Parts: sequence; structure tokens; C-alpha cells
Amino acid sequence: MTRPVIGYCGMTHLGINSAAGAAQRGFDTLCFDPDPALISRLVKGELPVTEPDLDRLWAENAPRLSFSADLTDLARCDVVYVAPDVPTDDRGGSDLSGLAALLDQVEPALRADAVLVVLSQVPPGFTRARGRARGPLHYQVETLIFGRAIERAVHPERFIVGCADPAQPLPPALAAYLGGFGCPILSMRLESAELCKIAINMCLVAQVSVANTMAELCEHLGADWAEVIPALKLDKRIGAFAYLAPGLGIAGGNLERDLATVCRMAEAKGTDSRVVQAWISNSGHRRDWPLRVIHQEVLARRRAPVLAVLGLAYKQDTHSIKNSPSLAFINALGPDVTIRAFDPVVPASAAGHPGVVQADSALEACRGADALVVMTPWGQFRDLVAADIAAALAGRVVLDPYAVLDRAACVAAGLAYHTLGVPALGCEEIA
Amino acid sequence: MLTHHRSQPADPARLVVIGSGGFVGGAIVERAQAVGIKVHGVSGKRLDLTQPGAGEALAAELQPDDCVVVVSAKAPARDAASLGVNIRMIEAVCDALTRRPVDHVLYISTDAVYPASEAVVYEHSPAAPDNPHGAMHVAREQILKVHHKGPLALLRPSLMYGIKDPHNGYGPNRFRRAAAEGKDIVLFGEGEEQRDNVDVNDLAELAVLCARHRSDGILNVATGRSVSFREVAELVVRLSGREVPVKGTPRQNPVTHRHFDPTVRLKAFPDFRPVALEEGLARVQQAMNEGK
Repeated sequence: MTRPVIGYCGMTHLGINSAAGAAQRGFDTLCFDPDPALISRLVKGELPVTEPDLDRLWAENAPRLSFSADLTDLARCDVVYVAPDVPTDDRGGSDLSGLAALLDQVEPALRADAVLVVLSQVPPGFTRARGRARGPLHYQVETLIFGRAIERAVHPERFIVGCADPAQPLPPALAAYLGGFGCPILSMRLESAELCKIAINMCLVAQVSVANTMAELCEHLGADWAEVIPALKLDKRIGAFAYLAPGLGIAGGNLERDLATVCRMAEAKGTDSRVVQAWISNSGHRRDWPLRVIHQEVLARRRAPVLAVLGLAYKQDTHSIKNSPSLAFINALGPDVTIRAFDPVVPASAAGHPGVVQADSALEACRGADALVVMTPWGQFRDLVAADIAAALAGRVVLDPYAVLDRAACVAAGLAYHTLGVPALGCEEIA
Repeated sequence: MLTHHRSQPADPARLVVIGSGGFVGGAIVERAQAVGIKVHGVSGKRLDLTQPGAGEALAAELQPDDCVVVVSAKAPARDAASLGVNIRMIEAVCDALTRRPVDHVLYISTDAVYPASEAVVYEHSPAAPDNPHGAMHVAREQILKVHHKGPLALLRPSLMYGIKDPHNGYGPNRFRRAAAEGKDIVLFGEGEEQRDNVDVNDLAELAVLCARHRSDGILNVATGRSVSFREVAELVVRLSGREVPVKGTPRQNPVTHRHFDPTVRLKAFPDFRPVALEEGLARVQQAMNEGK
């Protein structure tokens, strides 16, 4: 068959990056969104999301990318993915109304032989309950990672496809599209695929929770978690790619949503989810590590301090501030604290604290500050020289939870260095 | 776990302290008066909450815009009789609150509401007491929620110390009295258990802060730093300036520790600084030396 024409409906982070990936793999790709203004911006190359290599791929694949806010254009697509954002509330509950509404719009516009695929994350049972009046309906697990979306879209590890009847072969157009990526294709029943994404995230959370729990012990026992990690990764049962770096709890929204979903499903079905509740609790506990340490090391000793805070996004290489540990930290500080904030992408105004001031650079943020807190591990912060930091700061305290800076250099520069997974270094009595 | 119902802190119209004559109540009265808050004290000597009609009598003293601090208790509650006394007291308080609703209530509870197995305590830790004293306070916390519909702050202090503490419970109070009398300080086991020791003035300060913020929810009152009983004993001896032996005994019960996570307090009251144990005990020693 000729190469299928692919449509992505919902120009979200997921839709845009997936469309870029499809075009990069040589597929004619229609980018659809019911918002004509958004489509207009996309035509001009004005992308509303930030991802490494996205701008370049978008420009390079322009001949294969088409754009429309007109539903009738979907009729030329052989495979249509529906990928709107599914908002979550403070408790991790999903609002599926937007997805349902888009499906209601899109479905009638498709040819009967076109394959409709739900790509947004949904609870198990959604796709089968939704059904489709005519034509094949599938669910596919999205596996993008903020900050690595293009890598994941162009070079997926595998495709996980939910089918009403997994014993049946995939529709030829879908098989041809997925086959174009050269990775394993796993077909399974719809409910299994819908649960798969949640299961992946539970495994990741379990790893992170082990890392955070053990790292905290290291801080009190004199051990160094960084020394332990390689030993764990060489155990095949744990694996070279295990998620063992300690962090400030779970953020970004997706993992929190899935944790809440598992708890809700367990409550409804009467299964045991206490370990999941423990993960949630541990995440909250670790998130507040910077607050506890800054109180202990700075706020307990000084009134109206100035803090330099580097990083506001919830993780590096993204504009997203969803559940950002940095913003949670800043907003928990008293009103008498001045915060000189710098993030390569997120403006200081994103933080709601009255004492936040925009710094022009990372080093400028440090100037005259009583302490430096590196809250998001942006790559450019690794270029900071410890001696320059020490010269710029008025105080000596450095909180570097993600170990972005050179630990030994910080101590050599006379800084009192605090990071996750190891006891504080260079901490003689600070006057 | 603690929400402020006043975005900008302000003095309550009046602070009514039920149990004003006691160790904790007295400290709260003193602190509130020191910062200029109008205080109305209800002492057990003046109004016995266990007597018939106490609720009605108490109601007559309340005003709608009061912040009421409930401290009064017969502590510790060790048996059915003392449990009953404490329930009768809270019954009177609830009767008063029903007759004359007030704006805000603070309840001084205890960390004994948490089971001994809970080594690290958070405000969201389950209140599942394994002792009658904790059970008494949990019951009183719960019944207050029924009879007071406005903001209710439950303050759960760890082990408290202070010069006016009449109790001789195991810990700083007993140790300093023993040292003052030149008697041996006797530890359970080798005093390995770690506890968070709180200056009663910190509780008073936090109670006043809760009143000013019209706070609602749970706040554990602790410094966030636990030390062993042996460490406390040795500190007390050093501060006393006397040669007092600190002696271990054969261990009868397993070692249990208790640590408090201070994060809720750090977020609720970022400007509050707890008194360090050495500083607090030094002040108590000073007061003892001055005959206070």
C-alpha cells in the first residue's frame, strides 16, 4: 500500500511532538486543531511548546506537514490520532470531557476505513466504553518524556497498541505506520494498553521512591548514594537504566495523576494500594527537603535573608511548571525573604511570592545572596564555576539537590554544600 | 494540614483561655498578654468543669467573637475514672460552645494521639492512640468538631518542659529536679530513646500565632530535632553545675524513638524559630537558681 497519511488531532505537546516524529519518519502528516488561531501560529512555525530539536524538525519537515482547523480535511487521513491534553485537578483526577468532545467532532469526519486511535491517557475501560459507530478504534500508549519528547517520538522503544480483539491483525494502515519506526509493536486488549502507561509510571515511581528513601538514609548515616547507584545498576534484576537518581519528589502532573488513579481504582475494587499511598507520602516529604534545610542553615540564623534560586520549571528542558518543586519551595518562604530567581525559560513572575526578583543570569542571581539554591537541573547551570559562586554570594550556603555543581569544587571554594544522598559538606559553624 | 482563615494576622477580639491557671494555660495567657491581646482566663479554681451547670456558667462568659483556647484537662488520663473526668470537662465546654458559639477554637492536645510505633510523625499521621491519655485527647478533639463549626486548630505538643511544670514525668522536668536535689538521674535502659523536647513558651507562641491567623487544622508542636534521654540528662547535669550521676537500668521495654517533621510548621509560620533545647533548659536552670 502507499504510505498512509497520518492525522494528529489536538496540537498539544503530545500532538505536536508526535506529528513532528511522524513527518521525520517520512509520513505526510496533517496537524489538526479546532483552534484556527493556533493552527495559524503553527503554520508560521510559532510553536507553543519547547523541546530540544523540535524547532529544527518542524522546519526541516515542512513539506510533509500540513495544517488545518477544518474537520473535512481529516477525510484524507488513513490513521487519525486524537491527542488533546487531559487536565488533572489538584488531586490527580482527570477531566476527560475535552477528549470526549474532540472525539465527537473528529469521528464523523473520518472515512469508515480510517483508523481512529486514542493517544491521550485515559483510565482503563474508556476506549471500549466509548466505542466507534463505524471503523476500527484503537488505543495507543504515549511514551513521550518532557525534555526528551522528540527523541521518544522519532525513536520509540516500542509501540503498545490496545485492540478490541488483540487476536486480529492490526489494520494495514496502522501496521504500515507503526512499522515505519522499526521498533517492536505490542498488541494487547484495550484495557491492558490503557493500564500499561499507568503500570510504567508505577514502576518508575517505585524506583524513584527507593532512591529517595535510601538517599535520605545516606544523608544521616554518612553513606553516599552516588556510590551505591552503580552497584545497583550492574545487578541485572535492577538494570542499567533504572531510575535511581534521588530527587525532590514527583512532579510534572502525569505521575501524580497515575498515582491518584491507582488509589481510586484500588478503593473502588477493594485492592491494596497502601504502597502507592506511601510513595505519595514520601514524594511530599522529599519535596520539602530544600525548605527544611534552608530553615536549618539560613533562616534560623538570619532575618530577611536573600536567596538565589536557580530554576523554576519542574524539570530541565521544559517550560512546564506543573507541580514544580521550585515554585513550591519559593511560595513556602516567609514574606521577609528576598528571592533572586533565574530560569532559562520560565520568568520569575511565575512564582507568586512577593519577594521574587528577576535576575538576568544565574551568576547575577547569586550576587549578594546569603545562599544559593539550585532547584532545577538545567544543563547550563553545570557551567557555573564554584569560585565565581563563592565570590558572588554574601553567604556560604549552597543547596544543590540534583548535584548540578561540582561538589568538590564547591567545598574547595569554601562553600557549605548540601545535596541529596550524602551528608552536608564543608559545614563548619557558620557565624 | 493547617489553614489560615486570616490572610493578614490580627489580634482576636479576646482570647479566652479555659485552664488559665495551669502550666500550659498560664504560659499561653502570659504570652498573649505580652503581645497585647486581651485575655479572659477561666481557671479550674473558679469554674470546675466537672460540676453540673458548668457548661451554662461557661457559656455566660463567652462572646461571639472570642477565640477560645481549651487547655483544661486532668493529665495524664490513666484509667477509666480519669478518662471520665476529662470527658465531663469537655462535655461542659461543648455545652458552652453550643449555647454560645464563638469565632475560633484552639485545642491543646498531645502527641500521645499518635501510636508509639509511629517513629516519624507528621500532621497527616493517623491519630490512632495506643494509650488512654491519647485516646482521651482524640475523643475530645473529635467531639469539639461536632460542637464548634468554625475554624478549629488542634495543637499536638511533644514532650514539654518549663519551670512551672508541676508534673514529674520522665524527661527534662524529672531530671532537673533530681539534679537540684543531688539525686541520681535514673534512665530507662541507657536512655537511648530519642524524643523532641519543647519549651512550653514555644507552645504558647504557636497558640498565639494560630489565634492571630485564625488557623484551622492540625499542628504538631515540636522543634524538629529529637535527642536521647541520656543526652538530655547529661545536658541537665552540665547546666546544674553539680556532680550528679546519670545511671542506666536493665531495659524493660523495646527502644522506641519519636521524631517530628516540622514542614507544616515551617510553611504555616515561616518566621517562627523554636527554642533550642540547650537554650531552653539553660533558662529553666537560671529560673531555678533564682528561686522561681
